[in-house]
Amino acid sequence: MVMEPKSSTCNLGILDSLGDESIDELLKSWEGFRVSTEVLLKDNGDLSVGSDFVSNVHVLCKHGLDSLLQDFFLRSLEETFERNEASKFWQHFDAYSDLAMPEINPFEMKEDCVQKVLCKALEEICLEKGYQEKCLLMLVHALLSYQEVISKGRHPSDVERVRLLSRYQLMVSSVLMTSLPRHFPDILRLYFKERLEELSTMMAGEYEDDNETQVKDDMDLDERTKLSSRVGDMDVDETYHERKISENNKLVKNIGKVVRDLRSLGFTSMTEDAYASAIFMLLKRTVHILAGDDYRSSVLESIKEWIQAVPLQFLRALLAYLGDSVSYDGPSSGLKSPLASHPSSCYPGSDTPSEGLVRWQLRLEYFAYETLQDLRIAKLFEIIVDYPDSSPAIEDLKQCLEYTGQHSKLVDSFISALRYRLLTAGASTNDILHQYVSTIKALRIIDPTGVFLEAVGEPIRDYLRGRKDTIKCIVTMLTDGPGGNPNGPGNSGDSLLEELNRDEENQENTGCDDDFNSDDKQAWINAECWEPDPVEADPLKGSRNRRKIDILGMIVGIIGSKDQLVNEYRVMLAEKLLNKSDYEIDSEIRTLELLKIHFGESSMQRCEIMLNDLIDSKRTNANIKATLTQSSQRGGEQGEAGVSLHHLDATIISSNFWPPIQDESLNVPGDVDHLLSDYAKRFNEIKTPRKLMWKKNLGTVKLELQFEDRAVQFTVPPLHAAIIMQFQDQTSWTSKNLAAAIGVPVDTLNRRINFWISKGILSESLGTESDNHIFTLLDGVVDTSRNGVNSANCEELLAADEEGERSVASVEDQLLKEMIVYEKFIMGMLTNFGSMSLDRIHNTLKMFCVADPPYDKSVQQLHSFLSGLVSEEKLELRDDTITSAFTHLCQFWVLGSLQNTPDQSLSDSLKSINLCLKLWIFSMHLSSAILKMAIRL
Amino acid sequence: MKDHLLKGVGGFPENRSLGRHKSSTRFSNKGMLNRLRPLKWHAVASWTWDAQDETCGICRMAFDGCCPDCKLPGDDCPLIWGACNHAFHLHCILKWVNSQSPQAHCPMCRREWQFKG
Repeated sequence: MVMEPKSSTCNLGILDSLGDESIDELLKSWEGFRVSTEVLLKDNGDLSVGSDFVSNVHVLCKHGLDSLLQDFFLRSLEETFERNEASKFWQHFDAYSDLAMPEINPFEMKEDCVQKVLCKALEEICLEKGYQEKCLLMLVHALLSYQEVISKGRHPSDVERVRLLSRYQLMVSSVLMTSLPRHFPDILRLYFKERLEELSTMMAGEYEDDNETQVKDDMDLDERTKLSSRVGDMDVDETYHERKISENNKLVKNIGKVVRDLRSLGFTSMTEDAYASAIFMLLKRTVHILAGDDYRSSVLESIKEWIQAVPLQFLRALLAYLGDSVSYDGPSSGLKSPLASHPSSCYPGSDTPSEGLVRWQLRLEYFAYETLQDLRIAKLFEIIVDYPDSSPAIEDLKQCLEYTGQHSKLVDSFISALRYRLLTAGASTNDILHQYVSTIKALRIIDPTGVFLEAVGEPIRDYLRGRKDTIKCIVTMLTDGPGGNPNGPGNSGDSLLEELNRDEENQENTGCDDDFNSDDKQAWINAECWEPDPVEADPLKGSRNRRKIDILGMIVGIIGSKDQLVNEYRVMLAEKLLNKSDYEIDSEIRTLELLKIHFGESSMQRCEIMLNDLIDSKRTNANIKATLTQSSQRGGEQGEAGVSLHHLDATIISSNFWPPIQDESLNVPGDVDHLLSDYAKRFNEIKTPRKLMWKKNLGTVKLELQFEDRAVQFTVPPLHAAIIMQFQDQTSWTSKNLAAAIGVPVDTLNRRINFWISKGILSESLGTESDNHIFTLLDGVVDTSRNGVNSANCEELLAADEEGERSVASVEDQLLKEMIVYEKFIMGMLTNFGSMSLDRIHNTLKMFCVADPPYDKSVQQLHSFLSGLVSEEKLELRDDTITSAFTHLCQFWVLGSLQNTPDQSLSDSLKSINLCLKLWIFSMHLSSAILKMAIRL
Repeated sequence: MKDHLLKGVGGFPENRSLGRHKSSTRFSNKGMLNRLRPLKWHAVASWTWDAQDETCGICRMAFDGCCPDCKLPGDDCPLIWGACNHAFHLHCILKWVNSQSPQAHCPMCRREWQFKG
């Protein structure tokens, strides 16, 4: 180093002064050096030429040619290496060249021998390399000895040796890299994968043993003692671990040797890549195996344990074997990772884990979290379907997300799953609603701020708004038991509403307690645990309303306003109450009280009156019965009639507060009619200025049909009862006569009488006229379908809405009735403006219809009403703009007149129509109308 | 009720009736419908005040509803007739009468207000 520049300058200076003999000497020793180098580097090198070599080197060095001979020597080393060793090394792997293509069958077969081949190849090449290094060292020695001769007493520096060796190292790795076959990384990966699997099966046995003892502990000991016992056992465990590890040592040593050889060949990063990817693949597979499709247990802990048990042990052993002073945590170690100071009790046997190991642990854990999170997110839909059972999985997911922060991934994936699996025509509204509630509950755990819930809930809400029966389902879900069936799983009869109420009470209780203690302190604590909204939060929506997630509020949010919900509930309640044959309304009262809490007393006022009516009816009924007993004692003439006032109960309603009731005329049988008027008279007597108006088509009748051998009971609506009772006097009726007798339209009769036909009590046959059927009483109930149930108490409850038959007008009907008022407005508007958008119609109505009755409908309601008009062909919908179909009506009319009138009067008829349209425009309209007619026909 | 309602049912046209029903006619004396009786007739009615007018002349609310101060209709918010045969919600007319000292008049016909006996 120091002398090199000096000698080279000397060289130039003394070049001319070189004598012949010295040139001779130079040439000779150069030749000698060349020959001996060649001999040295031959396959089975001969070290005996060493002395020759050294003397030649000395001579050349004397002439200042040391750098030249170093270069020459290295180049010949390189050539030899490239020619022999490198090609030989790669030849070993030629058999695996197809590995580059992933997952071919022979892959499996070769797996076994990869290890042998790799080991052998590495061994050979390392041997060669070692020999070459030895040769190099010889050169170094020669150089050194020369230097020693020149500068006596001065210590030969190590610098030269290091420099040459590193040059050689660089040369080796560059030669190998340039000739690197494409499939070599795959081979390495395969090798590490296999080794790791072997190791993990070895470790897994141990790990399972470990687990078993732990499970045994779990059986009878509570968490705390288990923990302490674990801590106490630590020493025992450690020795156990050590023993196991020593068993694994051989394997790890093998791997370590391979890794070291590879490193010495300059494959450091490639090796690291290979075993890292092998470890990650193994980890991924393990996570998949551990997590699987079981959502009932938390797997995060066991995954962490596995990480500790298998890959970290492996890495620890490997790093320890390699001397641990790996290059990658060299200078940067001053910058400690925050988790490096983590309590290191989890590393048995080592005081402080090396930083490399900590990094590995962090990497592995992050990867495990991410894998588990991906796995769970992909299955989030299923997890939420069986929500209360799957809460461990949700807890896992929450932890993972806290670690990885990939919430948006969850939102995207879940929304697409929802769209694909839930929000389809095939899913019932009930299911969607239940899933929605579960989603709210589950996401509330994952993200208490509700930001992601908002994002996920939006598509569900949008979709539900498009469904007609949403409100109905919501009301049923709120008021009835889970899933609508009272004997289903879970606490039966516990409606969603009650559950919500319970939750709320709990929340409020805890909240109250806290507030009670000290307001300032609590406020301070609250302020301290404030966290900013997640970055994904929509800045347009204030964070205040996100604090508390109100499930009921979110459900009501689907509908838009609570009024609609209350309305629907009122209709359902009316239906339920009118079909009651007793006065038992306890559960309804409870539901109403709960609803009052949520919606306020005033909005539930009408429902309260309805329930009150039932209570009053019960009292009045009892009163009337009481007066009746006295009167019947006076004159017992009614006793023999079979039907007495005892058999009559009545529900008396305040019709103003009930939803509109379907009023159909009905002639009840004479004796019943008589009873009814009797009852009304008595009511009039008791509540003097008030009188009763019967809704004869409503209510329920319990009938008993007695046959010779048995009696059958039915509970039917009055109309059915009236029908069958007509057959007491006359066994056969034509439909027209029967309809007249009962006082209902024939088609209604035909529809309702099906009930008795289906029960096998009446039979239908075609009469003389096609529309006049004959109904005949059969003489026996031949019930092939129910011959097992021929006991006397066979009670049949007929759902009153068998064919959409209801006692109360549905909300839609009411809405339609209310909207009809606006039809004229809308038609007028459209005639003036031609066409308008839905929003504009809505706004115009809102602006101008402020008087009686004020326009208070939502856009959706208006839209459904207008679609009704479109289907009636009064309006036309064209790209979201509503046009009056007036012009089209006109065209059709013209078309009709054309068909009716002969040709010559065409112009007359046109004049008579008096359209101010030019004829050609008109003909265009005409042709399009004809086209439409043709299509229609 | 008639006990022996249905006898001699052989005469109905058999031509187009369903086979199931045909077969049932064969054992004509067995299982005849002897008796049909309603065990319970649960009827529904609405009540209304037997007044000539629909709405209270004072509060303009329906008689069948209740006055603005009441929550429950019916017994809790009764009607009252004056000597002039005009009816009002009791609460409404009482308020009116109390405000019109010394002598109150019927809000409808301006006659002296007296409760109908």
